[in-house]
Amino acid sequence: MTSPPPDETLTRRIPTDWKGQAMQRRIAARYRAERRFRLIGLASILLSAGFLAFLLVSMLGNGLSGFTRTEIAVKFDFPRAPMVVDPAMLEGGNADQVLAGANLPVVTAQAANAALGEGGDALISSNAWLTVRDAIRDDPSILQREAVLSLPASADIDLAAKSQGTAQAEAAYARLKQGGHVSRAINMPFLTASDATDPTQVGIWGAFKGSLLTMLVTLLLSFPVGVLAALYLEEYAPRNRWTDMIEVSINNLAAVPSIIFGLLGLAVFLNMMHLPRSAPLVGGLTMALMTMPVIVIAGRNAIKAVPPSIRDAALGIGASPVQVVFHHVLPLALPGIMTGTIIGMARALGETAPLLMIGMRAFIASPPGGVTDPATVLPVQIFLWSDEISKGFVEKTSAAIIVLLLFLLGMNSIAIYLRNKFEKRW
Amino acid sequence: MHKAVLAISAIALAAALSGCQDQAGGGAGGSRDQIRAVGSSTVYPFATAAAEQFVQKNPGRKSPIIEQTGTGAGMKQFCAGIGAQHPDIENASRRMKKGEFEQCRANGVTDIVEIQIGVDGIALAESNKGPGFRLTPELIYKALADDPFGKGKNKAQTWADVDPSLPKVAISVFGPPSTSGTRDSLAELILEKGCLTDPAMKELKEKDEDRFKATCTRIREDGKYVDSGENDNLIVQKLAANPNSLGVFGFSYLEENRDKLKDVPIDGVEATYETVATGRYPGARPLYIYVKKAHLGVIPGLKEYIEEVASGWGPDGYLAKRGMVAAPEEVRAKNAEIVRNLTVLDGSMLK
Repeated sequence: MTSPPPDETLTRRIPTDWKGQAMQRRIAARYRAERRFRLIGLASILLSAGFLAFLLVSMLGNGLSGFTRTEIAVKFDFPRAPMVVDPAMLEGGNADQVLAGANLPVVTAQAANAALGEGGDALISSNAWLTVRDAIRDDPSILQREAVLSLPASADIDLAAKSQGTAQAEAAYARLKQGGHVSRAINMPFLTASDATDPTQVGIWGAFKGSLLTMLVTLLLSFPVGVLAALYLEEYAPRNRWTDMIEVSINNLAAVPSIIFGLLGLAVFLNMMHLPRSAPLVGGLTMALMTMPVIVIAGRNAIKAVPPSIRDAALGIGASPVQVVFHHVLPLALPGIMTGTIIGMARALGETAPLLMIGMRAFIASPPGGVTDPATVLPVQIFLWSDEISKGFVEKTSAAIIVLLLFLLGMNSIAIYLRNKFEKRW
Repeated sequence: MHKAVLAISAIALAAALSGCQDQAGGGAGGSRDQIRAVGSSTVYPFATAAAEQFVQKNPGRKSPIIEQTGTGAGMKQFCAGIGAQHPDIENASRRMKKGEFEQCRANGVTDIVEIQIGVDGIALAESNKGPGFRLTPELIYKALADDPFGKGKNKAQTWADVDPSLPKVAISVFGPPSTSGTRDSLAELILEKGCLTDPAMKELKEKDEDRFKATCTRIREDGKYVDSGENDNLIVQKLAANPNSLGVFGFSYLEENRDKLKDVPIDGVEATYETVATGRYPGARPLYIYVKKAHLGVIPGLKEYIEEVASGWGPDGYLAKRGMVAAPEEVRAKNAEIVRNLTVLDGSMLK
């Protein structure tokens, strides 16, 4: 039997003419599209990196000088100074009390006038006597001799030293420099002190500690609640209309503007429960409300990503559901949960608006001792300083932003480290 | 099992919260060991300066907490009641209003000590590169009012529309929002004054106080007046960037930024320390602190703090160094007397 002759049109395939003009154009178009797409992607990366670089450069440019301060050496002749302090009285715990009544501001002003010429007291910080007080407290023996102390310069001189001052201050600074009185030093008080009214005296520690305490409360509350909620929703909750509604609500909650959580905190924690105003406790509770939905969503995704085969295997060899969850599902999902938590916490760390509502926009000159003490947090401190009258606060604001950025950078690095270290792929 | 987990977490949460409440309850029922003040952002730098001095002179004491809420919102908190959960001091950049005083009384805050700590001017300023405005309250009112003299919506687009002698640049004024005491002062010290140049408005004031207020102090909302939040530094920056705009803010900010800004003379009077202190500059306004007498003696250091404020309000005091304008001699003497005797405010004197 002979097969019917094959259809002419089917067998006579014309081979693609790769060399032909039309085909060459199409190939070129494909390559172009490929290249274009890659360039667009690259451009968006460059754009966002550019914004970030701009932020960093402008902050570093403005703020790095905030970590240094100008000091002026002033000679003190304590035995002849118009003050009477019995060194024996400084032994007890009330040295500050004794020295507060010891006429130190006048002594300091006189010493500055003597060392730097008439008007010298205007060149040093108006709170410079505090440095003198600390020096005496640390070493009462200097009361019996002459001593040269490095006092912080006034805000004007400090700005002039960083060439941002007025012409008058720059001239005064030039004179001081010629006399060899000034030096540049690391501004340690900036890292150890709290808010003050004089830009040469301010520090970030109070706000930093406030942020830490607030974050601690947030973490302690939102992490367990968020993780348990995610576990329940993924592992136990029946799929019905109620759980759907809860899911929608949680997703909604994650997108609610933070100021609304602030109002909620004000109404519930302050007005109804009478918790103390401005306390990290209330700030932490409010932030926990805000962070929890983020943790629930991240937690659910991480738990969902654990393969069902692992659950089945564990159940198959006789593990109870709780053992399945705590021995297998949770440990495997934990890296994902922790990444989500840290990202949520980082967002809470940078949040200002809800904290304004609960009284953290305040002048607080001493670091908080506990979660119920009044405190402020880094972003609110930045906000407060940006509103200060004195120009010396400009660089302090930028310096505080650098501290906040470093804090955020640290938290996000931990998130990435945890993810890379513990993440499992199936 | 999952019920147990839920129950445990619920109990833990409840315990955590009630634990906190106990602590706070203790704080609220007993007393605080630090002073709390709320209120105006204009008074804030002076209040903080006083707080710092207070701590330095009384090393054992905790630093007072000074919150920036704006005068109006601060009054609400201040008047909410007596007790440690309510603030002791209200910093105000305008006088307490009659309504606020009633509110205080209704909540048991009957004895209030009113102390004028100094003067601030609300200054009108422009960039150094600006055209050099010279204004009067009347012109400012005509340019900014929503409904000038009750004759229909404000249509003026440029300053030349307001008065031909003024430069032909678009009206653009950056100023504080309506919650701010600075805004109240702008309304009271400048807009009302400008409004009263029309005799019909004087009549209206006697006949219908509410309509008078609405006509004379409501500011237009078509973008010529820009609310700039409570941040006066922001206004300074805006002015530097927009040389044809005017800004309204506290006099101390003008003083600190003389290298970028110049003041706008009102009625030919320039805003200087001298003219603000004597009240010749139309924008001069008194600054107050209000203290609850019931808290004196209960909150440790409250009296010392007030005395500390009083010690620094002279022309050479530390408050003047921070940019406050000292009140005239006789006002200071009168208020020093109040601080000494803790004279209670007579509500019938308020408006």
